[in-house]
Amino acid sequence: MTASKHQRSDRVGVYICYCGGNISDHVDVEKVRADVEKIPGVAVARTNMFMCSDPGQELIIEDLRQGRIDRVVVASCAPSLHETTFRGAITRAGANPYIYEHANIREHVSWVLHGDRATAKAEKLVAAAVGKARLLEPLQPIRVEARRHVTVIGGGIAGLKAARVLADRGLEVVLIEKSPFLGGHVARLDRVAPHGEKAADLVAELARSVLEDEAITVLTRSQLVGFDGYVGNYDLRVRAVSDGDGEGQGTYVPFRGVSGGTPPELTIETGAIIMATGFRSYRPRRGEYGHGDHAEVVTLPEFIRRFSMAESADGTLVLDGRIIRSIAMIHCVGSRQIPGIHEEDAEGRLNEYCSRVCCSAVLHAACRIRERFPGTRVHDLYRDIRTYGRDQEELYQRASGAGVVFYRFSPEEPPRVTAAQEGAAGQDFPLRVTVRDGLTFGEEVEMGVDLVVLATGMEAAQVGDLVAMMKLPVGSDRFLQEVHPKLAPVESSVAGVFLAGTAQAPMTIGEACNGAAAAAVKAASLLGRGYLELDPFVAEVDPDLCQGTGDCVRACLAEGALEMVEENGHARARVVAARCLGCGACVAVCPTGAIDLKGWSLKQYEAMVDMIVADLAEST
Amino acid sequence: MASQESEGRILILATESCAYPGADSVGQAHSSYPANTYILRVRAPVMFPERFYLDCFAKGISGIIIMSCGEECPWEGAYKALADRIDSVYRMMRERDIDIRRLRLTAICTVCNRAFLKEVNQMNEIVSELGPPGQLQTGTVQAVDSQ
Repeated sequence: MTASKHQRSDRVGVYICYCGGNISDHVDVEKVRADVEKIPGVAVARTNMFMCSDPGQELIIEDLRQGRIDRVVVASCAPSLHETTFRGAITRAGANPYIYEHANIREHVSWVLHGDRATAKAEKLVAAAVGKARLLEPLQPIRVEARRHVTVIGGGIAGLKAARVLADRGLEVVLIEKSPFLGGHVARLDRVAPHGEKAADLVAELARSVLEDEAITVLTRSQLVGFDGYVGNYDLRVRAVSDGDGEGQGTYVPFRGVSGGTPPELTIETGAIIMATGFRSYRPRRGEYGHGDHAEVVTLPEFIRRFSMAESADGTLVLDGRIIRSIAMIHCVGSRQIPGIHEEDAEGRLNEYCSRVCCSAVLHAACRIRERFPGTRVHDLYRDIRTYGRDQEELYQRASGAGVVFYRFSPEEPPRVTAAQEGAAGQDFPLRVTVRDGLTFGEEVEMGVDLVVLATGMEAAQVGDLVAMMKLPVGSDRFLQEVHPKLAPVESSVAGVFLAGTAQAPMTIGEACNGAAAAAVKAASLLGRGYLELDPFVAEVDPDLCQGTGDCVRACLAEGALEMVEENGHARARVVAARCLGCGACVAVCPTGAIDLKGWSLKQYEAMVDMIVADLAEST
Repeated sequence: MASQESEGRILILATESCAYPGADSVGQAHSSYPANTYILRVRAPVMFPERFYLDCFAKGISGIIIMSCGEECPWEGAYKALADRIDSVYRMMRERDIDIRRLRLTAICTVCNRAFLKEVNQMNEIVSELGPPGQLQTGTVQAVDSQ
């Protein structure tokens, strides 16, 4: 089929979704169906509570199989959510998946409008989709060779897990880690909640299996500096991280020596990328709960490290030679920050999210203190306890049973940490913590302590260079953003780039490994066949209309995608499909309308506009 | 709703990688905007020739907002080509006595909710002020501009 030979289908099937009330609460779906059914070219119009459900998809499949329809319009949620679903249903019916058009009547109608106006607008959008669908043609996907190779960026627990799963599925892997070590933040922990496994064992076992696998190449002290290509065929440039002086291999650095560990820049040919770039721990600002003002105020990661070398004095905790008789542990430091209450960072931002792992980590640490050192009192100061997940609520029960004392504070009136003053209560302790306790109906409680532990949350890793280079979407929380939290939870909007672990959001070690495995399986299934099938939305030329002006070749944005050839003694434009970007820059400049974009043609847009301006009552 | 809704129809050409998901984001936020807006998903608005815009006005579309990816356009060179074309459309609109405020080129990202609402409401006010576009002979436009 060429651009000038469009024929309109008279057997369009329209399927309108209630979306469980999301649409039908505001759009009179049955009225839309009744009105749309009268539009010329519409053979069938049906509704369903959830068109994406199996019964909903069966409606489409059955109509196609029975030959009632040869084009499909689904009016439902955003196409990013279910376009693939419905194309799949059409394929299962034995039809071509590109005979499909989507009308978004949820995000663009029922969620922004109410009443008659919503119904009228929904009808217009469905009618426009019908206008386009009547001109759709069956298309064949473009086959592109793909490298069975994945690059994992980040050598923490998620990166290691992703590499392991990929290699198990027979793919070649390069793992790039900026630091000299594998294991990331997990390697800096001691025993981990909720079951108390040794973090060192987890990391060592996984890292060893990665290092010993011939299918996995590990590049430590390396970073990504170049990103080019497309899904299945990415070209990456990797450069060694310098020793801090920015000097390359063989360079003499005064008073340090000759830099020896900087290999030349590498180029990696890969098919997909997994971003396992991790997180960074929140650093309290100076004075936040006394941090930076008092040496006895530490973060939870700092405490965990010191606690791994703890000693005992008759059942009382000794850290760095100092007896710790009483500890205050404060939750939600750097997490769940509230505008107007908490101080913004230097860039004017707040961490409004919950870091999700801190409650369990604090309670696990509190249990270990009390169980090993019963002579040390533990005061737990929290806003809310969120020990979600399997075997984690038990931590709260266990801490209570172990004698941990809980206090609940409000964000408007957080605990105050001050140096103990002579003559005041708790004067033999270096610090005094004051909290208005919601559990005792607002009583102000004061306690002397030897140590304050701040349960600091997770922040997005500083990967702005990668985000800019790879054009990755970032959420308002600054973590890398998936396409959809439920339907595409490890996919980024860049084809062939997947997200794993805490690069995406705060999560536990188990969740990070789950996400990494999911990302790895997604990448493996993408590249497993050694080729990809891409959407066939490329330009096509109608040789009968082409006058060989060459305007399209000059307007083309992709080198080599359009060329002039000789046909029967006449110059004609020809599309090189594998190189065509499908942008349509050529379409606009053709004086005879000889070139158009498959699946998104100018004629189809004109038909959509015609339906939008048409009086539907008259057109029917 | 931020402004009184006009009768005129507003066509929004929204890029599939930026502005269309941006409009989805506005919906996810349940932010209301005028009902006379019709969003068409486009791969890149650089595909539309001058006559497409003039034809839209001739057919009765009161305002057009091109919501592009701006400098974030995934196709290098497309945004400049688009901007040049819109300049050309503006010249043609002036020649035909069509108020150029009826056509607006802007950049909307996937989370640019405020910018989206601002653009839509502004165009709605313009369309309210200007009323429907004058009737043009589409065929005449094509014949003149293709020469």
